[in-house]
Amino acid sequence: MNSLIDYTVNGFVIGNIYALLAVGLALIFGVANLINFAHGSVYTIGAYVGWAAITFLHTPLPATMAIVVVVCGALGALIERVALRPLQGRARIAPLLATIGLSFVLDQIVQLVFSPDPRALPSDLPDWRIAIGGGSVGAMDVLIATVGVFSAAALYAFLRFTRLGYAVRAIAQDRDAAKQMGVDVDSVNSAVFAIASALGGLSGLLVGMYYNHIDPAMSFQATLKGVVAQVIGGVGNVPGAIVGGLLLGLTESYGIALFGTTYRNLFAFVLLILFLLAMPNGLFGGRKSIEAEPLTGSFIAPSRAVKIPPAALAALILAAFALPLFTGAPYLLQTLTNAWLAGLVALSLTLVAGTTGQMSFGQAGLMAIGGYASALLAVDWGVSPLVSVPVGGLIAAALGTALAYPAFRLRGHYIAIATLAIGEIVALVILNWESLTRGAMGVTGIPPLSAFGHEAVSAKAVYWITLAALAAFAGLQARLVNSHFGRTLRAVREDEIAARSNGVDVKRYKALAFAFAGFGAGVSGAVAAHLYSYLNNQTFDSQLSLLAVTMAIFGGMGNILGAILGAVALVALPEAFRFAAEYRILIYGVVLLLLIRFRPQGLLGAV
Amino acid sequence: MSPSRRLSRRPFVVALAAALSFSPLAAFAQAASGDPVTIGVSGPLTGPNAQYGAQWKKGFDLALDEINAKGGVRGRPLQYVFEDSQADPRQTVAIAQKFVGDPKIVVEVGDFSSTASMAASSIYQRAGLVQFGFTNSHPNFTKGGDYIWSNSVSQADEQPRLAKYAADLGFKKLAVLYLNTDWGRASQNLFGEAAKSLGIEVVASEGYQPDEKDFRSTLVRVRDAKPDGIVLISYYADGALISRQIRSVGLTTPIVASGSVYSPKFIELAGDAANGVFSESNFFPGDARPEVQAFVTKFRARYNEEPDDFNAVAYDTIVLLAAVIDRYGPDRKAIRDGLAEIKDVPSVIYGKATFDPETRRVAGARAVYLVVKDGKFALWDGVKPVTN
Repeated sequence: MNSLIDYTVNGFVIGNIYALLAVGLALIFGVANLINFAHGSVYTIGAYVGWAAITFLHTPLPATMAIVVVVCGALGALIERVALRPLQGRARIAPLLATIGLSFVLDQIVQLVFSPDPRALPSDLPDWRIAIGGGSVGAMDVLIATVGVFSAAALYAFLRFTRLGYAVRAIAQDRDAAKQMGVDVDSVNSAVFAIASALGGLSGLLVGMYYNHIDPAMSFQATLKGVVAQVIGGVGNVPGAIVGGLLLGLTESYGIALFGTTYRNLFAFVLLILFLLAMPNGLFGGRKSIEAEPLTGSFIAPSRAVKIPPAALAALILAAFALPLFTGAPYLLQTLTNAWLAGLVALSLTLVAGTTGQMSFGQAGLMAIGGYASALLAVDWGVSPLVSVPVGGLIAAALGTALAYPAFRLRGHYIAIATLAIGEIVALVILNWESLTRGAMGVTGIPPLSAFGHEAVSAKAVYWITLAALAAFAGLQARLVNSHFGRTLRAVREDEIAARSNGVDVKRYKALAFAFAGFGAGVSGAVAAHLYSYLNNQTFDSQLSLLAVTMAIFGGMGNILGAILGAVALVALPEAFRFAAEYRILIYGVVLLLLIRFRPQGLLGAV
Repeated sequence: MSPSRRLSRRPFVVALAAALSFSPLAAFAQAASGDPVTIGVSGPLTGPNAQYGAQWKKGFDLALDEINAKGGVRGRPLQYVFEDSQADPRQTVAIAQKFVGDPKIVVEVGDFSSTASMAASSIYQRAGLVQFGFTNSHPNFTKGGDYIWSNSVSQADEQPRLAKYAADLGFKKLAVLYLNTDWGRASQNLFGEAAKSLGIEVVASEGYQPDEKDFRSTLVRVRDAKPDGIVLISYYADGALISRQIRSVGLTTPIVASGSVYSPKFIELAGDAANGVFSESNFFPGDARPEVQAFVTKFRARYNEEPDDFNAVAYDTIVLLAAVIDRYGPDRKAIRDGLAEIKDVPSVIYGKATFDPETRRVAGARAVYLVVKDGKFALWDGVKPVTN
């Protein structure tokens, strides 16, 4: 049918753009074994550099492209030198977090310099179009495809046939061996970042021109789609990235054809999960690329956890509970209440990511399940929050574990990407399952927390309830982690194969850890739902998942007190910087970068 | 609007915001004319919605200059404290507690999205501080309690008018593309009902995510439904993206867009594709009403750019609150009671604004039919598109 051709063409057109993004990501992953979350930010900067060149220097397209390539290439080399090189030999999670911190900083700088308003980015390409089927393809489509295919071919040839290319592949295979053979790892890394960033910036420019639209918020979606495309193609595989991008574009386009526009991203992430399950190495990954080592675990620089004397700990807990007796300031109590709720999520993350070694970027999805379950029970069935909150936690635990279960055989980065996708899928299902969740309208009129006819609405009451929940969870988790259960989880983290050969049912232990963590995150989401009285699909977004990861790292992976400290610090930090409203996120990003650089094991040390 | 101007103006705005957030300092600087009366603003200055916070400020500052030059409220200067919420519900509840606990704040304005605003409503309601949302069209927003007020144009007014315009333009079969948020979803429902009662059939209805950029496949669905017109329930940035792609895939179907696309940015971003787009707006600088002309002249003089809808509602809000405070006193309870009583406050959007004390909203927004001609919004000349 005619429309089928159109959907196919459209799939290729958007797939083109994903491919261009994925090529840069694949190159960096190939050599540095790193998902570069700052790639989208470089892409955004490329678009704005192009805009500035056109507006102030009136450059023609080739000159604009050259300027963007040079500036973004230099930026890439700078990123590698300043933010990533000092982290060599650290936990593999450290550079990944550094790129997240960098993306905050870069996006915020763009926004401060250019204002958040979207801008037009006109192109001076001729306005001709080729009719294909019922639609057409324009000059910009052709240019994007050419740049994508050409750069992939050039990179492939470069990796395959040049000396520097040999060096890159050698480093990708075994960094230390390459170094011993006299490869200058640093300059090769630097060159790779420069090339990948130049390509990223160029994509930003071209995509910005394609839509005649650039804005500072375009970076996160770009990273996300690029990551999906390269996982489909096979992480670190350059030609695979192109095919992955096209396949992703086609899937989305056919998804829209079958079910409608709101299902688009759902298709993208379901495709990702299917690939992770059926062929985690992607279409072109071959057998070699799966990493045996866990992402955190034994790669964490050996650190001794800071010991806190039990008496001091008891005093701290007592002080926290007594605080509302001395200050009535609701702002302080509300901020700390937010911190306690965040603490619950950080605890859940530190259990799965720190203790068990399964990095999760999907904690917000668990909060959303818990929040919606409790809210809907209370609003639609009149269940008391006393019952609905724990039930919400249980549903989050059950559903979260069931969703993550198939991913338990994945390792390292893959489990991180799978959980990221699961988080997105939960949000998209909430948006689309209108009959249950009310879709974008959200759930209104959620009753406040109450027990036996008494409503807990004052800042003090809410403070005590959330603090008590946090203390209970922390206590329980501390007991669990110090029991044989905790020892087994750490064994799974340190060496999964050794654990299995000692008779540990690895999947079962992972499931138990996820279930306990899901319950904590679910309760946190449920309590939040009753505090806010309104929820929709955006209340628990993926930024929140990233925040949870940052909190756990901040205090020290696996460290229970550390997770709570991280939550307090990261919820309180932005509040403390409130006087500098527009610079807040910038400062937060810089603090994160400095911390990763100078104290990667977290403030209290990893356990 | 020249970019260099934007760049040079920005540090000033930042400095102002920084100065304002140290309220004791600001109070000291203005000690000569008495203690300032403070409005608390909760809104996005960073994050994905930051541009709207920036638009608000321009409207606020213009209104404040004018009010304070005329002696302020009850002889005291009026000022605002802008707390950045990123339109994030976790931050709006903290800001709400901050405002509620600060006796200097007599009324609160914002937040931007319903997600963020409604999370904080119960705190304002319980504390007895008016939460005044001026971009909150969620039908349940003001149902949060008798301290929750809004002068945002209700979609229950707006969408039937858009449907009527579509009917006046002679459309019989429409495809609707809507932003899949609470605002877009509610609007799409209201539009659908109104269109049905006018005998218009909605042949396709497609919701899209706020960060969506590619609409080509959606447009194939739209084309296959064979509408004689396409309705956009969009903001200006996404509306412009869609309009461009409608034209670039070769569809010639006429476009009717909800008033929310009304912004000079819409034309800048959509380029030639904007030409021929029909829209209606509560705010149009070319509107001959004297209150509109006065606002536009002042705005252009200060910022050297065309005001948009967000500037206008922000301006209106401060003017309205200043009138209430001036008349009923800078007291939280008095302001609530005053909102219910005050009548016929001059307004750019409404001409004269009066609240319905039951719904705590304003009815009767003015609107004009518009069409884009030669890269400019113009009043509709009555010419109907040729439909097949």
